[in-house]
Amino acid sequence: MPSNAEILLVDDDRDIRDSVRIILEKSGYAVRTAANGREALEALKVRLPDLMILDIMMATDTEGFDLAYELKGKADFENLPIILLTSFLDKVRSDGPDKFQHILGEEWPAKWLFEKPVDSKKLLDKIKGILSGG
Amino acid sequence: MNRRSENIALGNFPEEIHKRKRIILGELKERTIWFVRLRWLVPPSIAAGAAAARLIGVEFPAGALLVVAAFILAYNAVFYARSRSLEGDQPDQTDYVQKFTYWQVALDYAAMFLLIHFTGGAASPLIFFFIFHIIFASILLRPRSAYGFAALAATGMGAIAAGEKLGWLPHHALVFHGRAINLIEQPFQTLVNMGFFATSVFVTAFSTTAIMSMLRKRIVDLAELSEKLTTLNNKLNSLYIMTQAIVSTQHLEEMLKIVTSELADVMNVQGLSVKLLGEDGKILRYAAAHGLPEGFIKEKIIEVGKSPLNRRIIEGEPFVTGHVTQREMFQFGEDLAAARMQSVLFVPLIVEERVIGILGAYSAHPEEFGRDEVDFFRLAAGLVAIAVENARAYESIESLMRGRSWFMMRVAHNLRAPLAAMISILEVVRSGYQGDLNDEQSEYLRRVDRRARTMLSMINELMTLASDRAETRQIVREPIDLSALTRRIRRTFQDEAAKKGIAFEVSLPDGTPDIMGDFDMVEQMLENLVSNSIKYTPAAGTVSVAFSSVVNGGGRVRIEVRDNGIGIPKEDVPRLFTEFFRSENAKSVEEVGTGLGLAIVKEIVEHHGGRILVESEEGLGTIFVVHLPAAHKEGTNENHCESK
Repeated sequence: MPSNAEILLVDDDRDIRDSVRIILEKSGYAVRTAANGREALEALKVRLPDLMILDIMMATDTEGFDLAYELKGKADFENLPIILLTSFLDKVRSDGPDKFQHILGEEWPAKWLFEKPVDSKKLLDKIKGILSGG
Repeated sequence: MNRRSENIALGNFPEEIHKRKRIILGELKERTIWFVRLRWLVPPSIAAGAAAARLIGVEFPAGALLVVAAFILAYNAVFYARSRSLEGDQPDQTDYVQKFTYWQVALDYAAMFLLIHFTGGAASPLIFFFIFHIIFASILLRPRSAYGFAALAATGMGAIAAGEKLGWLPHHALVFHGRAINLIEQPFQTLVNMGFFATSVFVTAFSTTAIMSMLRKRIVDLAELSEKLTTLNNKLNSLYIMTQAIVSTQHLEEMLKIVTSELADVMNVQGLSVKLLGEDGKILRYAAAHGLPEGFIKEKIIEVGKSPLNRRIIEGEPFVTGHVTQREMFQFGEDLAAARMQSVLFVPLIVEERVIGILGAYSAHPEEFGRDEVDFFRLAAGLVAIAVENARAYESIESLMRGRSWFMMRVAHNLRAPLAAMISILEVVRSGYQGDLNDEQSEYLRRVDRRARTMLSMINELMTLASDRAETRQIVREPIDLSALTRRIRRTFQDEAAKKGIAFEVSLPDGTPDIMGDFDMVEQMLENLVSNSIKYTPAAGTVSVAFSSVVNGGGRVRIEVRDNGIGIPKEDVPRLFTEFFRSENAKSVEEVGTGLGLAIVKEIVEHHGGRILVESEEGLGTIFVVHLPAAHKEGTNENHCESK
């Protein structure tokens, strides 16, 4: 269980940040948090984490998406695994073609997409899988 | 003149005259060709007549007559050759046809005079044939020409009689049984004969032309009537096309485009506009501008106060006409003049006795609009007004729906976010990461978590309903792979059913045709039905989903969701599919629920053109039967083959 892996958790909702952080820390991960895209970029510049958990809808409906694609386009970050979180799994699925037109045709930037509230067991399993090279 | 122009349907006067002329000319052409054919009979008749006369003992220079017959034959051959070029339907033959006719009459006269000269001059019985010529000329040519030919016949005969009397011309008297009929010796007789002859030809010319002019008027009247009927028919057609556009096109802009271009067409005008009155009643905006300069719709806003013509309509006049030269009457007169428009006709668009805008027609001709145009235009305006009102109503409903759906989404999101945070925090606490909980604390937090999750699913259902209602999602219609569908349903519910100790079965017999529809929607419908069944079936019960093709059902698939749960009270069945309805016994099993699940089911079934039935006995169980259209009517066989 103990792992030295570091996770960057980006969400504008403090309560989500805190609760997910606790769950991750109890599972042995080192966690840093950011409340928006700008903070996330600063945190990434300080040190590259092993994985990033990123909320899609923050200040704008697509802030998380935009950040994920921005990172995919940069050599430094292109291998950073990302797990996306959303309150609107259905909406992301069904509105995809319209709402996220600008990212269509590009490669999906994240390893996985979870709907909030996140089932902590599934989240931890997924993180473990990704970090062990899955 | 004035009365006349009122009678003419389109008011395009010169064109109308031209049309009538064409009708008369067409007639002339036909008759001309007919006379050419008739003339072929003349030379043989002359020969036959000459032979007959000889037989009964009349003596005359028969050789000369035959030469004249040959002459007639010759010129008729030329006419015949020429007449073939007339038979086509070329437009501008006016002069040619006229000339052709004059030549015929002139040559016939010449032949006639020759025949008369050789058969006794003033005493010739053939002079009566002139009457035919006068009649023909009256039919074919203008009255003036008929009189001209009558005069020519009279003077020609007079000249022949005088010439022969005075010895300038040789006299060929007719000789019958050796006795010459010598009228030339009796000047008085000749004078009387000639006098009566002249009178006869003039009376003939007069009476025939009089009858002809009457007939011609009738023809013109008929032509006018048929023209009017055609115009009326066009107008009716165009009203029909407009009505169709109005009924089938809900978007204002698109509908007005069709309507204005159709109206411009049928009214034979260059421009057509629909201007709608702003809410304050002070400005008019172009909603459509067919044939007017580009940019009128976007740029031009008419201030009613600055445009007297428009103001008069807004103030209640039934119609106004105007001429672009009256610059002070128009706000954008220069633009109209630049677009070569000369006259305009404006009528109000009225809905419930309120002017909502103006329908305008613009013509490149100076005096285009008569009473007929005004009447028709006002009729069309009635249609356009209704159409505008319809389209506006439709658009406002649509925007209301959009607004509602957006609002629901927003509400749902704002409700979900804190709830998700709550559940997340609860999980941290319940997991004991922040210190151990005693059993009681644990139990109460479990209940909080359960209620929070129920609320979350309610919000999810509300969101689904909102997005379905607004039909933001286009319904896909394609064959649904039922084996994939049953796999997914099985996977979704087997754990939940097992946890509750319920047997869960899904059966899909070989040969069941695919369903035609939207996979996600049908899956959601089944999920709602099955989750209900599992929810309201106690431990050791059974929930089953069975697919089958409807026997004799005309290409339908039957899905049966059956449970032996608590059932539905009879009195609640009719309200089962209503939003937010939950039956009492359902509430006793599960305290919370939205009552939206079955409403969504019904909506999805109806979207697919299907049917849903429910049969239930309280305490024994419930059966939902859904019929949905199959992908192929003959699909049974196809699938059967595939499965082998």
